[in-house]
Amino acid sequence: MQKEIKHTFYFSQTPQEVWEYLTKPELMEQWLMPSDFKPVVGHHFRFTNPNNSFVVCEVSEVKPFTNLSYIWKNDWAVTKTPYTSKVSWTLTPMEGGTELLLVHSGFELFKDLSAHNSGWMFLVNKLGELFKAGKK
Amino acid sequence: MRTQTLDAFQVIADPSRRQILTMLSKDSMTINSLAENFDMSRPAVSKHIKILYTAGFISITDIGRERHCVLKQDGFDEIQDFINYFDKFWDGKLKKLQMILNNKAK
Repeated sequence: MQKEIKHTFYFSQTPQEVWEYLTKPELMEQWLMPSDFKPVVGHHFRFTNPNNSFVVCEVSEVKPFTNLSYIWKNDWAVTKTPYTSKVSWTLTPMEGGTELLLVHSGFELFKDLSAHNSGWMFLVNKLGELFKAGKK
Repeated sequence: MRTQTLDAFQVIADPSRRQILTMLSKDSMTINSLAENFDMSRPAVSKHIKILYTAGFISITDIGRERHCVLKQDGFDEIQDFINYFDKFWDGKLKKLQMILNNKAK
């Protein structure tokens, strides 16, 4: 079972241009969600989902044109399934553009399992077997 | 004892219940042998096992006088769904960003 999400995308723009789309609310809104984001460590902000629910966030790292991360939580006031996670963006200049890596990880729920990595791996393997068994 | 209905995340939020799942990932175990691994009382362990059972994380089979616990897939599905949801979410969003930037480059 997967416990973190990773995606790598390539763009023909420079890291500076891609960075704008990660940090300017009017540009973020075009592809992600409306928010009151500011690229300032410690800034609390919210993304608004189309159904008017919120993702509650806090900026944890800003290294212009290179790294951006924020804590990503759902709205604990209205949910029965609270979680805390971390979204990290890494921009790497490449010939002819930028590599953008997204890692969405640290789902609080999985923290202890990750800390006991061997136990977790065992569980993962066991689950893999269960999934296979279920599909037969 | 009050009956608890917890979702999959609340179920695995408890360290003792995660420990039970980890132990069961190695082999099926009886409730008695599970309970021996904990400092808490046998009824307290039984309560956790009941919660795991109710949420579909384990199944319990009676063999003779012993109750054997085995991992079950159902409870884990909800957690996998959650991860899959975000995986698709970001993939979709990033494809949109790529489209916007590609159009801009033209």
